This record gives sequence, structure tokens and C-alpha cells, in this order.
Amino acid sequence: MKLLQNKGKQLLTITLCVIPIFLSGCWDRSEVNDLALIVGMGLDRTDEGDIELSAQIVNPKAMGGQGSSENSQSGGQPVTVKTGTGKTIFDARSKLQEKVSRRLFEGHNRIVVIGKALAERGIRQHIDFFARFPNPRLRANVFFADGKASEILKIMPNFEQDSAEVARELAELRIGMKVTTKDLLQQLASESGATALPRILVDKSDSGEELRVNGTAVFKHNQLIGQIDDALTRGLLWVTDEIETASVTLQPKDAKDYISFKLLRSSTELIPTIKNGKWKMTITITSEDDVVENETKLDMMDPKIIDKLQKQLNKRIRKRIKMVLDDVQEGMEADVFGFADAFHRKYPKQWKKAEDKWDETFPEIEVAIKSDVKIRRPGRSGGPQGVPQDKEATE
Amino acid sequence: MKWAMVLGIVVIAVLITLYEWPKMNKNQKKERKAFAVLTMGSVVLAVLLVYFPDMPGPTQLVDSLFKPFGKLLEK
Amino acid sequence: MIEKGKISGLQMAILLYPTIVATAELVLPAITGEVAKQDMWLSPIWASFFGYLSVLIAYRLHSYYPKETLLQYSETIAGKIPGKLIGCGILFFLLHTNGMNLRDFGEFVNGNFLEQTPLTVTIASMAFVCALAVRGGLEVMARSSQIFVPVFILLFMFIVVLLIPALNPGNIAPVLGEGLTPSIKGALVPTQWFNELFLISFLLPYLGENENGLKWGMITTTLIMITLVITNLLALLLFGDITSSFTYPIMDAARYISVADFLQHVEAVEMAIWVTGMFIKISVFYYAAVIGLAQLLNLSDYRPIVFPIGLLLISISMWAAPNLQKLTHFSSTTWPFYALLFQMIIPILLLLAVITRKKFSKTQLS
Repeated sequence: MKLLQNKGKQLLTITLCVIPIFLSGCWDRSEVNDLALIVGMGLDRTDEGDIELSAQIVNPKAMGGQGSSENSQSGGQPVTVKTGTGKTIFDARSKLQEKVSRRLFEGHNRIVVIGKALAERGIRQHIDFFARFPNPRLRANVFFADGKASEILKIMPNFEQDSAEVARELAELRIGMKVTTKDLLQQLASESGATALPRILVDKSDSGEELRVNGTAVFKHNQLIGQIDDALTRGLLWVTDEIETASVTLQPKDAKDYISFKLLRSSTELIPTIKNGKWKMTITITSEDDVVENETKLDMMDPKIIDKLQKQLNKRIRKRIKMVLDDVQEGMEADVFGFADAFHRKYPKQWKKAEDKWDETFPEIEVAIKSDVKIRRPGRSGGPQGVPQDKEATE
Repeated sequence: MKWAMVLGIVVIAVLITLYEWPKMNKNQKKERKAFAVLTMGSVVLAVLLVYFPDMPGPTQLVDSLFKPFGKLLEK
Repeated sequence: MIEKGKISGLQMAILLYPTIVATAELVLPAITGEVAKQDMWLSPIWASFFGYLSVLIAYRLHSYYPKETLLQYSETIAGKIPGKLIGCGILFFLLHTNGMNLRDFGEFVNGNFLEQTPLTVTIASMAFVCALAVRGGLEVMARSSQIFVPVFILLFMFIVVLLIPALNPGNIAPVLGEGLTPSIKGALVPTQWFNELFLISFLLPYLGENENGLKWGMITTTLIMITLVITNLLALLLFGDITSSFTYPIMDAARYISVADFLQHVEAVEMAIWVTGMFIKISVFYYAAVIGLAQLLNLSDYRPIVFPIGLLLISISMWAAPNLQKLTHFSSTTWPFYALLFQMIIPILLLLAVITRKKFSKTQLS
């Protein structure tokens, strides 16, 4: 009996020793030095109608320690851009793989740039890959390139390691819109039928080429229908409550110099109302500013002056928003502001009925803009600097 | 590849038997019978599945029994 | 008695909690979101009523036959042959469902992480670990889940907290925009996950003396309900309308985490949650099947049949469906009714039979 038990124990030991061999995960072993880390992806359309995928791949030779040293010419670039063409993104990716000695890995992909030629024919069908293939993350920022996406990726910036990082940081700063793959999927699936993507450009100057996020591309029903410039984009950001950093410079009435304000915080509320079948949207913006520069001789501690400036600021914001509404709501008739969602949330029943007619309803919606700016503090100085006390301008 | 899988299944079954069989008492007849039948049954099923992975199984059986209800939740 | 171990009420709760939460946590938002849309977070609340009912029925039956499990008293109540038939049905259900659980586990791990690994290997290694736990007995399972469940909960909270900055509370509106119907429809599949609490009838007989089984059962159900509401809210507030378009929304949510450009790529955490949870879930089902079969055959010991049943489970898991689409389709259309029969209708019928019989014999006596 005891002997048998011992035998059992021995067998168990042997089994336990054998099993780890099968459990070491040898099928999916992937070492970092077998991977080609993709940090940025660009999608373009070739003249034949195929997809050209450009991948910005981290150069393993330039990684780690010595990478930043002397010979930056020969293989010292931190990233390289490779392209492949195919019917779908994955098809192009497999063509690309033929040129790369390591296994492509999109797990660290930070940006997706969509070229103009491709975007004109719709983006929905191409974004599926980023939500289905196991590697890519939904947090990658999506950009629209008014030209070829591969151009954007090929830029070697001065500041950061690669252009993908530049683009991501720019999106993070909220100069333009910030749209992740997740946001894009949500926009595409939303009731409004409109999508907006930040536009990224190459800025050529004497000091070299740099990237710039500037403006917004507007899509409606998966079609590129227009682009708006930087100023209008700021207006759009006010409406969608995405504005984070803003500087506003005013020229007060009866003054020839300027005052600059820095936006501290702002919040926007979209308040839809339906009265007697008339759809109306009220945009309420409350923001706080600080004075950061005063060229005039006005006393920033004077409540009356501040009141006037606040009024002027309000007018300014309303004008900005009016501009973008004129252009996008009435011109392009694309609901990138999220009005559809706001109506749906507040009036689910009426929405159900009007859902199909949204495209006709949207341009007709009356929009009221209410802005409430509060100038909180005068900054480090009170009255104007460099002006004798008694010469300060007052009311 | 198929023969390797069959071999693997048989090896596992043999290992299990070698491990469990001596642990059972002589007078645990019923246990031994249950063990033998279950192990054999499992091996036969496993081997069959290696060769005919698409043969109709419990899911199809249940599906055919509960079809009218299942339709309710289909879209 | 075949099982000599005793567990405490807390241990029972800790065994049952991951049994329901493990599967639900990953796919619940996708399944409920499909029909309930922005009201999906209400669905687990409606579904939990079935959980409470299931616990109540199992407890009532247990109070009539305190030392027996479901398979034993079904024989006492329904008579030898019908009882055995019911037992066979329940066993079939347990084995088949557990095969599907194993398959779910394998599909998830292979689909997201180990693409090249054969499915059988993933499944077999899990089955082996579970077999060891089951063979160790109820106490071993309870203790291992005592180690795993706190980790499970902690990691889950970790993901929830890290996602908070990315959430958009606006996604929840309009609450009840289309009335109660969508959220109730969304609750249909989760009701059967809650009904898996009928497994409590395999654990109640081994509860230590002076332990309040009913109380712990109810606590478990409430905790599960809260966890599932949080899960659905998380997915809803992050993804809104597109939640149901993902296979595993919470997985994608975990991958979305990025705190200060630095704390990211935490999907391995989600994987850890799922694997620990599934380990307990599969073990509990496995245990119920093993002990059920041992009782059905009147064996004196259940341990010898643990490994053979494991082998059988692996085969069933491969047999259950040809692909993930069919598996998901089956588990969201036919399975709820199939599960309802074994998890709820049969226990209710048994309970009714006992009550009427008791009443009848009482009136006869007086």
C-alpha cells in the first residue's frame, strides 16, 4: 500500500516536471528584439485606388544610450518610415512586413494620419482595422492630413524623437481638436452623422520642417465636405467644451494698445429646447480669465474698467462662435457640435420622430449664444506698469 | 499532426490512470468501474473530435430542443 | 457524506462571487448594450431579482434536506428513476455549460494575447489547474479563492479608478428614454448568469454549523449586482453608443487607460482579473459536476473521477462550437432558456413538490 502511494507521488513529481515544458508559452513568445514597434501610421490612397500604409517604426539601432551620439547620419535616425500598398490596411501591412525584418507591432501606435485622397472617399471603412486587429489601441490620436499622410510621418522634428510624438503632444495641448480612435468611432456611430478631425500640416521654414496642428476637417456621412481654419476651430472648441488653453487679446475702446488675457477655465453647456415644434439651442459658456499683459494705461484694479472689458470679451466669444456656426451649421450643414446628442438626451421622444429628418432640421435650428466671462485677477501688477500714479487713465 | 494529438490524448489518459488507479481500494469496485468508463469515454470522444471536429454535439442538441425559444432573442 | 470539508459563509460568498462576475465582467456590456443602449446599467439590477430568487429557492430546499445536494434530494422528491433523470439532465447542463466556460476562457486568451497558441493547450492548462483545485476538495477551492478574490476585486477597482478621467457622464442620458422595456430586454441574458447562483445548492450542505447560508447568499447576490452595474456604467460612460460593437468592451476600456503618458498598457491586469475569476468559476462548475456524478452513481469518493471528467470537459469545450460567433450566438439566444430550465424551473418544481407533499401529509395526519 505504502509502496503504491510512493509510486503515485513519484509519478506526480514527474508529471509536474514535464508540464512546465508545455506551459512556457513558446507559441506566442515575443521578445522586444523581435518586434518592430510602430509609433505612427499613415493611410493614403494610391492612384490605382489601393491603400498605402506608411508606418513610422522605431529604429532599434538608435534606441538606448548611444543613440543620441555622434554619427546621426548613418542609421542614427530614431525612426524610419516604411510603406506598403494593398487592398485593405491589413493587406498593405503584410506587404510592409515583407520589407521589415522584425514582426510589426502596433501596440505602441500613437497616431493615425489619414491622407486627403483617402479621406475624400470616406474613413469609416478604414477605421475598423484599428478596432478589430488585436494590437492597436483605441487611444491613438487621429489626424487629417491635407495632402499625403506619409509626408507627415517623414518629418524628423527638432524637439521630440519622432513626428508621432509631436502630433500627439500637439493634440494633448488642445490647440486643435483632440480625437482618439475611440472618439472617432463614437462620432461615426453618433446620430449627428458628422465627424471632425484635426488637420495636421507641415510648416516649412528656414529652420527646417515642423509639424503644426491647424484647423479641422469636417466630414458628413463619411464624406469630406470641408475644412475650417484655425480661428474657426477655436470657435468649434468653445462650443464642444474642449477649449483648454486660450489667449485672448483685446483692443479696448478708445485705446490704441492691447490687453491680453489668459483663459483659466471654461465650461460650455448645450441647452436644447423644443417649443411649439421649434427647435432651439442655447449655448451657455462660462469662463474665467486672468489679465496677463496690459499695454494700455488702464488700471486693472478698477472694477468699472473690468466690467467693460468683460463685456467686450463676451462679445468676442459670441462673435467667434457665430462665425463657426455660420460656416459649419449653415454652410456645410454638418453637426460637429453634438447638437443631435443634446436633443436626443433631453427629448428622447421627439428625437425618435425627428431622427430621420435631422439633416434638414439641423441647419434651421436657431442658436442663442450666452457668454459669461469673469476676469478674476489683474495678474502680478495692479495698475499699468511704468506710468506715474496720477497719470493713470480712469473712467 | 493528428496522430500526435491522439498520442497525446492517450498519454494523458494513461498518466491519469497510473496516478489514480493505485489510489483506489480493492473493494472500491464501483469507483474503478466509473473511472474506467469515464476515462475510456473521454478518450474515445477526444479522438473522435480530432478526426471529426465538426460532428454535431451537445450545443446542436440543445439548439434543436430550444429552438422556438431561442428565436425570441434573435435579431 | 462524500465531501468531508466544511466552509464558512464568507468562503461560500467568495466562491460564488467570481462564478457569476467572471464571465459577466467581460461580455455583459456588449450583450446588454445591444438592446438596452444607454439604459444598460439598469439591466443587472432587474436581472439580480432572479439571483435572489435562485438563492431563496435553493435555501428553502436546503432547509428541508440540510445534508443533501440538489442531485440527492431530487431523487428523494421525485422518486428514484425520475430523480436520476433530472440528475442526468442537470449533469449534462453543468458539463456542457462548463465546457462553454472553458471555451470562453480559451477564446478570450487566444483572441487577445496568445494568437499562435493552439486553443487546446490554453484550455487544457486551465482545466488541469482547476482539476487540481477540485481534487483537493471544497476547502482547498475555498482557500484558493480567498487568495484570488481579493486580488480580483483590487485589480478591478484599479481599472475603474484609472478610467475615471476618461469617462463622459453625459453618455448616460436619456435615462429611460424609451421606457423600461429596453433595459428589461437587456436583462434577459444576465438573468441566467444570476441564476447560476443555483450552484449554491451544491455548497450549502457543506456550510459549517451556525453559518447563515441565506444571509451570505443574499450578500453575494447584492455584491455581484453592484459589480455588474459598475461594469456596465464604466463601459457606457467610456464608449457610449459604440459599447456593443466591441467583443470585450471592458478589455478595450482597460487598453484605453493612459495616466500621465506613463501608466498605460495595463491590459495584462484585465487578463489577470479574467484568469483568476475564470479559474474559480470553472472550478465551482467542475466541482458541482464531479460531486453530482459521484452522488448519482453512489460512489464513496469523488476524487477518482476528477481527472477523467477534466478530460471530458476539454473535449466538450472543443465540441461546443466551431467559432466564437456561434458560441456567442448560442449563449445569447438558446442558452438562456436552456439554463432557465435547469437553474430555475426544475428547482422551483422540486420545491413545489416538497411543499405540497408536506402539506398533504400534515392534513392526513390531523
